[in-house]
Amino acid sequence: MTPCIVTTGFFVLGRCGRQAVTSCPQCGRAVCAQHAAPQSGHCPECMAAHGYGSQNPFDPSWTGGYRRRFYERSSQTYSDTYWYSSFDEFDRGAFNPGDDYSYGEGDFGPDDGTGFVDS
Amino acid sequence: MTGGAGAGHRAAYFAFDRFPSSKGSAVHIAQMADELFASFGGGLLGVLGGGGLPRYQREGDREIARFDAQIPNLIDRAEAFSGWVADHLEPHRETLEVCHVRDPWSALPVVALPGRRRVVYEVNGLPSIEMAHTWPWASKAALGKIRELERFCLERSDAVVVPSRVIGAAVRGLGVPEERIRLVPNGADVRERPERPSGAPERYLVYVGALQPWQGLDVLMRAFARLADLEGLRLVVCASVPERRAKPVRRMAERLGVAGRVDWRFALPHHEVAAWLAHAEVSVAPLTGCARNLDQGCAPLKVIESMAAGVPVVASDLPAVRELMADGEHGRLVPADRPAELARAVRILLEYPEEAAAMGERARRRIADGLTWAHSRAELASVYRAVMAGGRDARSARDVPDTPGAGRDVPGARDARNAGAGAAHRAER
Ligand SMILES: [Zn+2]
Ligand SMILES: [Zn+2]
Repeated sequence: MTPCIVTTGFFVLGRCGRQAVTSCPQCGRAVCAQHAAPQSGHCPECMAAHGYGSQNPFDPSWTGGYRRRFYERSSQTYSDTYWYSSFDEFDRGAFNPGDDYSYGEGDFGPDDGTGFVDS
Repeated sequence: MTGGAGAGHRAAYFAFDRFPSSKGSAVHIAQMADELFASFGGGLLGVLGGGGLPRYQREGDREIARFDAQIPNLIDRAEAFSGWVADHLEPHRETLEVCHVRDPWSALPVVALPGRRRVVYEVNGLPSIEMAHTWPWASKAALGKIRELERFCLERSDAVVVPSRVIGAAVRGLGVPEERIRLVPNGADVRERPERPSGAPERYLVYVGALQPWQGLDVLMRAFARLADLEGLRLVVCASVPERRAKPVRRMAERLGVAGRVDWRFALPHHEVAAWLAHAEVSVAPLTGCARNLDQGCAPLKVIESMAAGVPVVASDLPAVRELMADGEHGRLVPADRPAELARAVRILLEYPEEAAAMGERARRRIADGLTWAHSRAELASVYRAVMAGGRDARSARDVPDTPGAGRDVPGARDARNAGAGAAHRAER
């Protein structure tokens, strides 16, 4: 049996594991009857990504395009800004990875530097 | 619409924080968001992802969206997150009744979105204060702009939720009127005593949490060095961060000659941390007396979770800690940044195990009687009821520029631009 590999759970995550009935036409992952979209058979992740206007979340160019759009909209323009964005290059300069309390580590990983406050 | 961007949520929760994760903030987000979604028949949770977490997830009537663009500079990343939040609000514009946010970069697109919806801003700390500590090279001007951003968002929120009175005072200091600030303390779940973790030493002190300088690990290590005569006593550090983050603290432990008596555990799942707490002799929360902990305040989850586990706590005597526990009643409060006093308090608890156990038991009862997550969630639910009942009047009475029909291409564009420019000028002066 091919198990459905859709991620489930809220605080504690796991894999669905039910028997897969199809594979997502977008990303190819195995999906069970409950997780496959009716008709198209897309996995929930690809369905949601599509709903928010992004094409394929597994396409490496996705992140690049998204980021470029954000820059255009937010950080690149100082005086004529859409968003609040009043931070100039000097301000930003202090917030590069490795400049934080972990002096010199220079690392930027998924577990680092996320969030502003920690109890 | 089948699938897609879940058809019109009534509620959304946004946090510039990875979820789930082993950090205390994730426990907090899980509880608060769960209450929000329980109150509004589901909703959208927008958080940070990465590390193999899926970008989108659907759990019944709940949807989780994760931002995982790898943008090294923190401000660039935070602003990109704001843009991402705006995109994810868009499909729900018509249906959203309440947005719950946790930081200014989540709040900005929410308060700038045209239309009437309630905004609940949960302040667990203020980046304008906190980032002065995490980012030592940040200029006064940059922190001033962050402060203006906080102010901008706070003044447009219908309710500001704080976990401690100290943080409430800091928020009031930013100009938020008293009646809009609501105390929703952190909580913990009181459970059956878990099994002893495998590999746990016979007798150990425990430290739980992250490893930033303001956590006071250096004070704890120095105190522990003074307890070298207590044979077999070990210190277990359950760090909520990955191992490479521990280098500075480990180096210090070596310098102080205590490294051989310290056991490290990294990024343990929440339930395993509970087991380490429950079987410790003493749990230590050596928070330093820095501005971050004093002015901004904090609401150390580790103190509440230690109390819930029935282990006596030795903590720094800070206002935020005093809100949670009393000296001699639930453990000991000692002056911050004083290794000798910390060591003495620990030693006394170890010498009087029966009294220590009684303190632990009273601490556990204190949590069960008023500081469980169920209590916190009931408070939060009442905040939601209050803001929903508040109607438009509360909002329009506020001194906030409101331009009807603003922003054609980007929602709220003009609103945010005008206010932002003004704020920027003020900050430059
Ligand atoms: Zn897919
Ligand atoms: Zn499945």
